[in-house]
Amino acid sequence: MSAVTLDGPPAVTARRPRLLRTPRWFVILWRNKKARFGMVLLALFLLMAAFAPWLAPYDPRDGGFAPGLPPSAEHWFGTTGRGFDVASQAIWGARTSLLVGLVAGTISTLIALAIGMTAGYLGGFADEVLSFFTNLVLVVPTLPLMVTLAAYMPGGGGVWMVIVVIGITGWAGGARNKRAQILTLRNREYIQGARQAGDGIFRIIFREIAPNMTSLIVVGFIGAVGGAIGAEAGLAFIGIGDPETISWGTMLYWASQDGALLTGGFARLVVPGLLLALLTTALTFINFGVDALSNPHLREQ
Amino acid sequence: MALVEVEHLSVDYRSRDLPPSHAVRDVSFSIAEGEFVGLLGESGCGKSTLGNALLHLLDRPAHHAGGSVRFDGQDLYALSERDVNRLRWREIATVFQSSMNALNPVLRVAKQFHDAMDAHGWREGVDGDRHARIREVLADVELDADRVMRSYPHELSGGMRQRVVLALALLLRPRFVLLDEPTTGLDVLVQRSIVELLRRIQREQGFTVLFISHDLGTVLEIADRVMVMYAGEVVESRPSAELATNPLHPYSHGLLGSFDDPRAEHVSVAYIAGRPPALTEPPPGCPFAPRCPSRLAACDDVVPTLDDAPEAAGPGPSLVRCHLFTDVGAAELGAGTVPETPRFAEVTAWSGAASSAEGREPLVVVEDLVKTYERRRGLRKERVEAVRGVSFTLVPGQVRALVGQSGSGKSTIAKILTRTERATSGTLRVDGVDPGSLRRAALREYRSRVQMVFQDPFAALNPTKTVGDSLGRPLRNYLGLTGDALWQRVLELLESVGLSPAATYVDKLPHQLSGGQRQRVVVARAMAPRPRLLVADEPISMLDVSIRAEILELLADTVREQDVTMLYITHDLLSARLLADDIMVMRSGEIVEQGPTAQVVREARHPYTRSLLDAIPRPARAGAVPAGPTATESTTPTGAPA
Repeated sequence: MSAVTLDGPPAVTARRPRLLRTPRWFVILWRNKKARFGMVLLALFLLMAAFAPWLAPYDPRDGGFAPGLPPSAEHWFGTTGRGFDVASQAIWGARTSLLVGLVAGTISTLIALAIGMTAGYLGGFADEVLSFFTNLVLVVPTLPLMVTLAAYMPGGGGVWMVIVVIGITGWAGGARNKRAQILTLRNREYIQGARQAGDGIFRIIFREIAPNMTSLIVVGFIGAVGGAIGAEAGLAFIGIGDPETISWGTMLYWASQDGALLTGGFARLVVPGLLLALLTTALTFINFGVDALSNPHLREQ
Repeated sequence: MALVEVEHLSVDYRSRDLPPSHAVRDVSFSIAEGEFVGLLGESGCGKSTLGNALLHLLDRPAHHAGGSVRFDGQDLYALSERDVNRLRWREIATVFQSSMNALNPVLRVAKQFHDAMDAHGWREGVDGDRHARIREVLADVELDADRVMRSYPHELSGGMRQRVVLALALLLRPRFVLLDEPTTGLDVLVQRSIVELLRRIQREQGFTVLFISHDLGTVLEIADRVMVMYAGEVVESRPSAELATNPLHPYSHGLLGSFDDPRAEHVSVAYIAGRPPALTEPPPGCPFAPRCPSRLAACDDVVPTLDDAPEAAGPGPSLVRCHLFTDVGAAELGAGTVPETPRFAEVTAWSGAASSAEGREPLVVVEDLVKTYERRRGLRKERVEAVRGVSFTLVPGQVRALVGQSGSGKSTIAKILTRTERATSGTLRVDGVDPGSLRRAALREYRSRVQMVFQDPFAALNPTKTVGDSLGRPLRNYLGLTGDALWQRVLELLESVGLSPAATYVDKLPHQLSGGQRQRVVVARAMAPRPRLLVADEPISMLDVSIRAEILELLADTVREQDVTMLYITHDLLSARLLADDIMVMRSGEIVEQGPTAQVVREARHPYTRSLLDAIPRPARAGAVPAGPTATESTTPTGAPA
């Protein structure tokens, strides 16, 4: 990564055992102020999700409180129209968002990698077919597709159905990026060298080329996670999936069903909305730092 | 007064993790009005950094660490950014490395000239008519002004674009032009024509030039005076004719030794073993001492200074930084002793020695080979004939050079032989098979017998893989080695290409190695599956001059010890003369001349072969070039006080 194009002297490497050293990528990310902000914020969300049972003041499924209470010492953000504690639901909701985001993001990134990289590397007829398929998915409007898929999906509307729907609809843009990137990498001499050394197609794609586009893959993955989190909230808000799941999206759904805006329950709208915005912001800020990994000029000195 | 005066200039590269690296260290010199000065050095010696520092263009992580640059009496580092900007282009112009790609692709050439005039305050009437000026400057660089002005950059060839960039730099009649490797990346013949053009315009118009290059031959031929840089310091500054005939510093000796006239009866070329020091901690003595064959005891711990050279060196103002010419050296050598000529490792032309190839069955038979590329241009199909009916044979144990300028089709032949491409027509048999007909397993097996050495050692190794990983792949794939046996063989391969002790290299990543070391790894990887045919496509053209011969020697030894056939592709007849038994000269897809190396080179019949020979810079020619008419003022560079 430290390809210095100027007439510079060779780099001196630190002399510490490999395992004890802070990984280079982490140092670069941490130095970037935006990325540091994003990572701290994301860490807070992860802690919130992991320690939800201890952090939440009540059981999020305990509907035994008076409905529509305003914020108070007992109920920090009040209660919902059905008598649930808003704060507890918001804390537990982080689990759903992160789970859907990470798993659906991984699925769509894997599909994007497999299709984009194979198309880009093979070229010719295989590329024509795979690119056509990618373009097809790109032009079909995502939201109606997701709604339709969710309606016909077996296994009736749990979180996992939402994950699968988001995973298999969100890969097309990423596949295109990866295809474009591999087109510039496939003609490098070291790829030709690997071919001369007898390596097979898949080894070349995933072991020779992929490590050289790590930062692009990571940027794509983080973007996909953010997209999946948003999509989950959107689907839940329009009532697709199980409305009894506790997530920020269903909180918004119920708030809208209860007419929270009319009855003055602003906290029920603002809290999940703000958390969603903060989480996607955190991911975006981390991506600024990942850019610096691949482009030394963006690093903060 | 000199036009450019540099005093005690230092530049550091600073970063947070590494100790600062002192890329330019206490450099002082001056350039007189109208003088043409060459700045010569290998990659990493600090010459481009020095060039940027002269223009006040240092960018992070480079920092100006002290010293001054005075242009016409004004200290650039004391002026505000705005005042420096006012000087740029009008007074100080520059052409950067590969700047032919700096033209804006979406604007016509004429527009780019107008933009430069607008941005830098062309005063209509006072400075003259702008259209007339553009025409004039394009005519100066020998371009057809009408055609070029209406063109977009992509419609011009690389050489034409380079001329346009030069014309842009000269547009506002600057007094000082800094040229940083202005011809690198261009074809040899084009390079030659641009260098000649540059010298002619400079003589006519009398501007001052600092010409930065790694190409010793060109610099010596074109410049009035040459400064040689090593490890961030100027080590010798001499009129070029004197440097060419009688270099003083052992490093200059070594560099000059890397040239020879391929037409001579005995050709031998020297190389400087080792690599330049890291500049994070400047060495306690002379930085060149570890590579110097004339090293004295004092060199290891006394830093030499840049002092006047002994009078015997010649009449011109000469400076050299070497203990051989100081009191320290005199004390050790004994007063009045003339230092001996430094002796570097040498490679002597193989050509002429009895070839083992006599009377053996050919390994490769090529007959009437044709390769046509089809390009779609809008609705029309365009055919490009890259190779037009080429025939030749390669005998085991033979090295045959394929020589030609870029675009002659020589790399296409390499691609067909390694089966990266297929021939359009013609017969091709390599080791009994036609590579074009092979599929899957047979193709894989074929690739183990035909290997390739690539041009660019910086691109030929995967930046994310260690040396051991890269070398292990062909062994695993073709020889089925695993575990300890694999490891053992990797170490043997590294030793066999001179990377010793091998254990220190296996875990290195490519960016931790020098260019020469990387090219050794590339050769080792090609030799790993014990191939029968080695195709080397310009394997030394990206390397520093001082180590080229070293890689040639490695290739020669490898081929002769392991009885491999080699097709050596190059544009450089000197290296072909050193390495090859036979030469084929290729032009526009056809072979125009072929035969035993010495015969083809020494009695070239085809005019194209002769023009390729003329393109080889010959430092000795420097003496023949008279000083420019405007460089009348005596030029006295200031010495760097210790």
